[in-house]
Amino acid sequence: MASVGLTNVRKSYGALQVVHDISLSVDDGEFIALVGPSGCGKSTLLRMIAGLEDISEGEITIGGIVVNAMTPRERNIAMVFQSYALYPHMTVGENMGFNLKLAGVTKPDIATRVGEAARMLALEDLLDRKPSQLSGGQRQRVAMGRAIVRDPAVFLFDEPLSNLDAKLRVQMRTEIKALHQKVGTTSIYVTHDQIEAMTLADRIVVLNAGRIEQVGTPMELYRTPANLFVAGFIGSPAMNLLDGTIDGENDRPVVRLAEGSAIDISPLRKVRRGQSVKLGLRPEHLTAGGDNIGGETLLVEPTGAQTHVLFEFAGQQMTAIVDGDHPVRHGTQFRAGIDKNLVYVFDRESGVSL
Amino acid sequence: MTDTSSTVRVSTATRLYVYVSLSLVAAIVLVPLVTTALGGFKTLGDLRLNPFGLPSEWVWSNYVDILFGERYWRQMMNSLIIAGVTVFLTLVVSSMAAFCFAHIRFFGSNQLLNYFLIGLMFPAATAILPLFIRIRDLGLLDSYWGVILPQVAFGLGMSILLFRNYFRNLPEELFQAAFVDGCGYIRFFWYISLPLSRPIVATVGIVTFVSSWNSYILPLIMLNTESKYPWPLGIMVYRGEFGTDWQLVLAFITLTILPTIIVFFLAQKHIIAGLTAGAVKS
Repeated sequence: MASVGLTNVRKSYGALQVVHDISLSVDDGEFIALVGPSGCGKSTLLRMIAGLEDISEGEITIGGIVVNAMTPRERNIAMVFQSYALYPHMTVGENMGFNLKLAGVTKPDIATRVGEAARMLALEDLLDRKPSQLSGGQRQRVAMGRAIVRDPAVFLFDEPLSNLDAKLRVQMRTEIKALHQKVGTTSIYVTHDQIEAMTLADRIVVLNAGRIEQVGTPMELYRTPANLFVAGFIGSPAMNLLDGTIDGENDRPVVRLAEGSAIDISPLRKVRRGQSVKLGLRPEHLTAGGDNIGGETLLVEPTGAQTHVLFEFAGQQMTAIVDGDHPVRHGTQFRAGIDKNLVYVFDRESGVSL
Repeated sequence: MTDTSSTVRVSTATRLYVYVSLSLVAAIVLVPLVTTALGGFKTLGDLRLNPFGLPSEWVWSNYVDILFGERYWRQMMNSLIIAGVTVFLTLVVSSMAAFCFAHIRFFGSNQLLNYFLIGLMFPAATAILPLFIRIRDLGLLDSYWGVILPQVAFGLGMSILLFRNYFRNLPEELFQAAFVDGCGYIRFFWYISLPLSRPIVATVGIVTFVSSWNSYILPLIMLNTESKYPWPLGIMVYRGEFGTDWQLVLAFITLTILPTIIVFFLAQKHIIAGLTAGAVKS
């Protein structure tokens, strides 16, 4: 196990800079997730940590040692790829033991270590099979087995569950979490799926256009998003955002919306009268039956325990999450209440949380 | 109900046209082969009177005499040595060169690749004189190497192209996974690329083998001693010797092309797989 440090890391392809001045510290044994939309640089960052991509500037350390010039093997990392990247001509056992074979480990030792990893991942009966004879979930487990068999300092996961169907993804997510709890190896996990990041990670790094937007625990990101990007990215369905202007007295500020209605916000928000802002309302914080906002119901999406209600307010579509038993029908009026302590306010120009 | 199947419906007329065309093409290929093989079972008189039909009397001795003679087997050995070493060297050199072109970018790599590919445009016959001089200067005249080395050189363009395209189509993540596992370029080539490239190894191997097996001009120019002649030259000498006994010449020709046909039938799946690799998304 080892800590991982990134100091002012940059990556450029010619004149195009894709990773901008990233500094990050991952503690020993920590599980950290890199999330962000496609093209935000999360996979590039992971590949730079792995040594599969050169860094243009900065410093990467693993276990306190600068690894910039080291090969992937010398960095003592293991990586799980999105497409599993199993060697098709080798059996499961050979796939898992390949890195040990290259490292010069003796055959009996390889067999012992592969056997242990296979037991941990319930792969014992599959050791003689070829990857083509395995299901998607089994292949992903073999990919993880190949990673743990060498007892690396750091696990790197590059969107490992993206190729699996929804049900299997949930199952594998649980397995990855259980595996991390068992072996406790420092893990860096890249995903574009915020649910995956929230459920797995000790801390999440939100990336956008090659920059870190915010680093924090899942609940910190959810409760106190640093800016509009994080607020919109974390949480599903996404946060509702409305344009408005700060109005009211200092001890009782309100956001006046374009169509004239006013919404109370916490006096703790650092706002000034007349400031152009974006108001953020999480769908799950809108209380059905309240009397702050409302409009015609455009769409009702029952998901079982909860129902997503799409309604029109202030000229735009809003989403609310209500109890599954709450009666709501398409075309009727939907009204919702707002707790002012659960209203987010962002500067409209800079996007920074106020 | 709407037919959602993607199968293309073919009319009877089209099908008939396809079958007739294919039968014609097959006949163009098969008739000379079958005529040659059957001719070897005839007497000279029978061959003159009835060149295309079945033998009126099956003369097995034409084939048996050749098979029990020393000449046939010696020439087969010469052909096997020349073709075998040519295939081995072509596979080793072209696979390694193609691996570099597929995975390593270095100064002038594209130009160097193009230089190899230009070789595709020149058959050995066009360069036979300078080739002869160079082989003579190397002291390789009248030796197997005098045939093998030019054959390898002229085969490199196509072989490198086929190997390179195949290597480039292997998933990039395999390459990365192998590097994380501790492979360098050489180990990746040996443990991953090569074992995964059996179809293209078979294709290049067979195409090179057949090309060397049928090679006539190079052995003719480079070899002088009859005991070193491969089959194509052997046929020429045999024809000179038994020019009037066409049934023997036909039997000899049949026996020399038989191994190629057998190899081709056994390996046709690999040849087609290799030549069409990467043509469609798998």
